[in-house]
Amino acid sequence: VLHSTRLLHTSQQCSAPVPPLPEKGGEVRHGLIPEEFFQFLYPKTGVTGPYMLGTGLLLYLLSKEIYVVNHETVASACILAVIIYAVKKFGSDVAAFADKLNEEKVASALAVKNEAIKDLETAIEQEKKEQWRAEGHSFLFDAKRNNVAMLLETNYRERLMTVYSEVKKRLDYQVAMQNLKRQKEQDHMIQWVEKSVVQSITPQQQKESIAKCILDLKALSRSAQAAA
Amino acid sequence: MNLSFFDQFASPCLMGIPLILISTLFPSLLIPSRNNRWLTNRLSTLQSWFINLITKQLMIPLNKNGHKWALILTSLMTFLLLINLLGLLPYTFTPTTQLSMNMALAIPLWLATLLTGLRNQPSASLGHLLPEGTPTPLIPALILIETTSLLIRPLALGVRLTANLTAGHLLIQLIATATSTLLPIMPTISILTILILLLLTILEVAVAMIQAYVFVLLLSLYLQENI
Repeated sequence: VLHSTRLLHTSQQCSAPVPPLPEKGGEVRHGLIPEEFFQFLYPKTGVTGPYMLGTGLLLYLLSKEIYVVNHETVASACILAVIIYAVKKFGSDVAAFADKLNEEKVASALAVKNEAIKDLETAIEQEKKEQWRAEGHSFLFDAKRNNVAMLLETNYRERLMTVYSEVKKRLDYQVAMQNLKRQKEQDHMIQWVEKSVVQSITPQQQKESIAKCILDLKALSRSAQAAA
Repeated sequence: MNLSFFDQFASPCLMGIPLILISTLFPSLLIPSRNNRWLTNRLSTLQSWFINLITKQLMIPLNKNGHKWALILTSLMTFLLLINLLGLLPYTFTPTTQLSMNMALAIPLWLATLLTGLRNQPSASLGHLLPEGTPTPLIPALILIETTSLLIRPLALGVRLTANLTAGHLLIQLIATATSTLLPIMPTISILTILILLLLTILEVAVAMIQAYVFVLLLSLYLQENI
């Protein structure tokens, strides 16, 4: 691409650093004539100079019929009216639109930068939190150690309890055995005593006791009849 | 200079030197070339935005192969737009009022789309000659009709652009002549005619833009069928 706007022999022909663009275009009066022209004529003819020049030129062209008034004049009047109306009405809107396009470009680039900064800041926060967590690990380990010790203690106590209960069971068994044995001996003795007593009752004694019972019963029945 | 109605459409000539090339290439001078800056001035920003808009609009219906045509279609659109709009200024010559130039644009481009279609997908291209769902007895007649319409396309493209612009320019000239002739006779009617001329000028501005757009749109449509 030939940079045709670059002066070939009068500048250094180097692209970098790029010279800054002017902020605004050249000042123009009535949208057509640069301000420099008016400044050029100002010392000799003052403020109205260029206008007199313009009017005189126009009248000269018209009166000498160097410019002939024909149908194109009317057509040009119309198209110029349309152009001037369009520029006056929509000019500032179009300029604002162009500025907005540029602004959006800048804003999106800035947004990228700000996003990156924000992400990095969030990362820093997270990192700090992780460091705090790492500090807290010693407490965590202490708690875990306590837990384990408690579990071991509980287990030991349980086992002690088991041992005690087992031993007690064994001893209870022995005690129960001894009680049972004594009980059995007692019962046996009682049975033996009863058996020998019953055997010692002679038939004579049996008859006497039965007769006595009958006499008692009769007496009882007599008293019962009397009572009734 | 006393103008006749033909002078606007005569190929410009200065002392025997034909100026037709300069007048055709002049619009390219009005487009600022691409800057290497990121934030350009207003004109360049607007131009970039506009060209992006046109290219997107034209390229959305086309498939990947059709995107090769992006440069020529966008530049054609900008070219025609600028030529048409500049032709509305007084004493300017509009190259697109010449049938020769419009046919020179239309026939090669249309032929290119046709040959692309016939080369890459011949049966699909020929299949466009018969719309879907036609009743069987109508098929021969319809093929003839479709072929005729296919062959008439470049003619239509060129003549449409020429006729619209020529008619518009001629109308402006005639009504302007009527205005200037009526001015000493019946000034009121003259004022009325000037109002008509104003409306016509606005119409012509619209027509200039629309005709450029239609030309390029139709070409992209023919491309869609064939690519």
